[in-house]
Amino acid sequence: MTSVVGRPTARVGAVEIVTGRAQYTGDLTFPGMLWGALLYPVHSPARILRIDAAKARRISGVMAVLTHADVPGLNRFAYSYVEDQPVLVSEFVRYQGDALAAVAAVDEATAAAALATIEVDLELIEGVFDPVEAMQPGARRVWPDRNNVHEHLVIERGDIEAGFARAEVVVEGEYTTQLIEQAFLEPEGAVATLEADGTIVVYASCQSPHRDRRQIAVALGLAENQVRVMTPYVGGAFGGKDEVHVQIHAALLARATGRPVRLIRSREESIRTHVKRHPIRIRHKLGATRDGRITALQVEAIGDTGPYVNAGAEVMSVLAATASGPYRVPAARIDAFTVLTNNPICGAMRGFGIPQGTFAGERQMDKLSRELGIDPLEIRFRNGLETGTVLPTGAVVREGRPMKACLEKAAERSGWREREEIEREPAPHQRRGWGLAANIFTVGFGRSVPDSGGVNLEMTPDGAAILRTGAADMGQGAHTVLAQIAAEELGIGVEAVRVVKPDTDRTPDAGPASASRTTFVSGNATRRAAAAIRASLLEAASLSIGRPADELHLEGGYVHAAGEQVTTVAEAARVAKEANLPLHADGFYAMEYPEQLLDDAYPHAHQVFTFGTQVARVLVDTQTGRVTVEELTLVQDAGRVINPGGAIGQLEGGAAMGWGYALIEELKTTDGRTANNSLESYLIPTSVDLPPMNVGLVEIPEPLAPFGAKGIGEATLTPTAPAIANAVADAVGISLDDLPLTPERVLTALARSG
Amino acid sequence: MAELSLRVNGTTHQVKTDPCRMLLSVLREDLGLTGAKEGCGQGDCGSCVVILNGRAVNSCLVYAGQADGAEIVTIEGLAEGEVLHPLQQSFIDRWAFQCGFCTPGMLMTAYGFLLETPHPEADEVRKAISGNLCRCTNYANIVAAVVAAATGGPQP
Repeated sequence: MTSVVGRPTARVGAVEIVTGRAQYTGDLTFPGMLWGALLYPVHSPARILRIDAAKARRISGVMAVLTHADVPGLNRFAYSYVEDQPVLVSEFVRYQGDALAAVAAVDEATAAAALATIEVDLELIEGVFDPVEAMQPGARRVWPDRNNVHEHLVIERGDIEAGFARAEVVVEGEYTTQLIEQAFLEPEGAVATLEADGTIVVYASCQSPHRDRRQIAVALGLAENQVRVMTPYVGGAFGGKDEVHVQIHAALLARATGRPVRLIRSREESIRTHVKRHPIRIRHKLGATRDGRITALQVEAIGDTGPYVNAGAEVMSVLAATASGPYRVPAARIDAFTVLTNNPICGAMRGFGIPQGTFAGERQMDKLSRELGIDPLEIRFRNGLETGTVLPTGAVVREGRPMKACLEKAAERSGWREREEIEREPAPHQRRGWGLAANIFTVGFGRSVPDSGGVNLEMTPDGAAILRTGAADMGQGAHTVLAQIAAEELGIGVEAVRVVKPDTDRTPDAGPASASRTTFVSGNATRRAAAAIRASLLEAASLSIGRPADELHLEGGYVHAAGEQVTTVAEAARVAKEANLPLHADGFYAMEYPEQLLDDAYPHAHQVFTFGTQVARVLVDTQTGRVTVEELTLVQDAGRVINPGGAIGQLEGGAAMGWGYALIEELKTTDGRTANNSLESYLIPTSVDLPPMNVGLVEIPEPLAPFGAKGIGEATLTPTAPAIANAVADAVGISLDDLPLTPERVLTALARSG
Repeated sequence: MAELSLRVNGTTHQVKTDPCRMLLSVLREDLGLTGAKEGCGQGDCGSCVVILNGRAVNSCLVYAGQADGAEIVTIEGLAEGEVLHPLQQSFIDRWAFQCGFCTPGMLMTAYGFLLETPHPEADEVRKAISGNLCRCTNYANIVAAVVAAATGGPQP
């Protein structure tokens, strides 16, 4: 029984947000602050013949114009291990978002004048834009000394030849997903200032302040302790701010001018430059016996990552690790390719490869069910994984019950079993359809990848608390959840916990706010820190009232003994301080991998999963091709919900992105240059677009997680598109295997099917 | 340069500036009112909405010169001291925001809408906020919060 965890709790900082007082990076001002801007290439790819900033530097009010020669340290950065992206390019422009120069001026107009005056001579070169072509031997190379195939990953288990041989039906398909823009409402940016001792301070709209610190230090040729990164309020990120964007540039300009520099991208620049969701082509082959049980699965996935690897290999790894879906698959082989091109860079985006893989996998399950005449719900029950199932990665599912629990709950909530009672043809040009999709999602980075985090917690002698976390809250509600956990463990109200936002000088490294890991890792770290302080409080209370500590209990601001309030937590804190007992502690947690991986397991296999099922009821207009989702039922396995208010919001928001992914979102490119660079032309869902959502939760606690709570920030984005596509197939009998399902695509498919 | 008179949240400001600057920039940079946000700079997202002479407008599309002599209400003017406006309280109570970046614009659009339609149905609210993009939520809580504020508390 908990009294704070599990209660709907208003977001930490709610009053600041609704009054406009919450400060985001672009709201910060400092005396003498300069306006920073970056020069992007008009053509790409290209060889750089000349960059001449002399004229620009002579403009009055221009304080610095920097090019590659002005990067004192390493002129490269990376998402993880492959540092191949230049801070300021010198020889080649490889995609439209490469920065040629950085400018700091007294105001926006002067900075623009400077950018316009920098002379750049580019020699256009032929680019690589088709990842499948790029993989062929003899294909033009993106880098002269690197293969276009950055990585070919194979995950294999069981004998697929035998598996397909004994299959009585085989379903094959080719699926493509589109380039996606995160479209966070706050364009990315940074403000850099200098301290008197030379420390560079960077305020950034970011997800990984400690990693940013390292990358800034390396580029500036500084020790890491000479850089400080702070994260104010962040207006959405979804992976697009997981790695460095303009932090290094802002720091360089501050160092060059000796003044604070503000560098915030415009929306157009943001769409042109920051990392996107990988467009992926998946060839999927599924074999099954006549009763619908899967015998073998073979997947080939080709991901276009752009010219810099960024998170490409990691995304393809996660896709490969989950490609078999939430099912028992006795034999599988997955080939995942990370391919370099001159298209926009792709990296972390909510879901991280799993939305793409789930689209293909769940369309295939649908086709299988159609082929065999088995109900789509039933076929998923027959194949659903269970506790003890071995996944193709070699991971053994430690808790598999939620998979079928989500299926069942989604079926009930959506009325799936009664769907034939509902009119299929409400009007001559309308067809109603039902689609289902189930998925598996991972929590954390996977084994062999550093995945840990720390928290510092302090109780003040008056019984309030300060929580110092390096985990960014970009709207997913992390700070509120951590405050609730701290409050629960310390026996105080959540309103008595003040959260100090990420600051590499003051808050421990929590690792990136990504991979749905923050509640898990930082939550566990918070529990550990709190446990130490709780010990002090209980000892102090015990001294105070003369009862053994193990008979005492902290809750709601009071110390309880035998069900009675005997003193306050505040009093216990005061006594603890007097008694020289520590009232502050650090907590640290590293992702655990208990003895459940086979010896030959894939090195980056995950151990914690969440499951979910979504049901879409759609109406297809056969004259316009428009797909209206009448209702979307989503059920998610959360382990334990710490903040129901925040959790439901995350689930609904994820499904909203899933809806956009299915029907309207697509960043279009021609020869690697994006065409729809505004929120007018890149469509994201508005208030009049989205379907009513019927949300259910399954709470089967995850033993390793704080209070049993798993991460759910990304998962609900994944089953939406296949559920909708399956519903369209059900409605009008066409197979739509390419996202998004635009009216044009629907009409074309309808015309083809006659 | 022009001498402009802007009455913002009840206080008159004399601002000397290029009249072709956007009102959003003047509010944020000259008057320090950073509640209104720049999400796109071209009127697509609604993050910059303020009330100008009683109507909600995208302040990134209003020239400072056009606002000369106008009565402007920004998010900073919604609460009465420490007492939140019913819309603000309703947004908190119903989890009508996550990252909060769209929230000032969303609240001002809602405020302007309720001035014209004090007792809206949910569908009317949905239409009214369709020019305000939110990437974190599915808008359901926002709509519910506006409807609740309209039926619950005192009128704006």
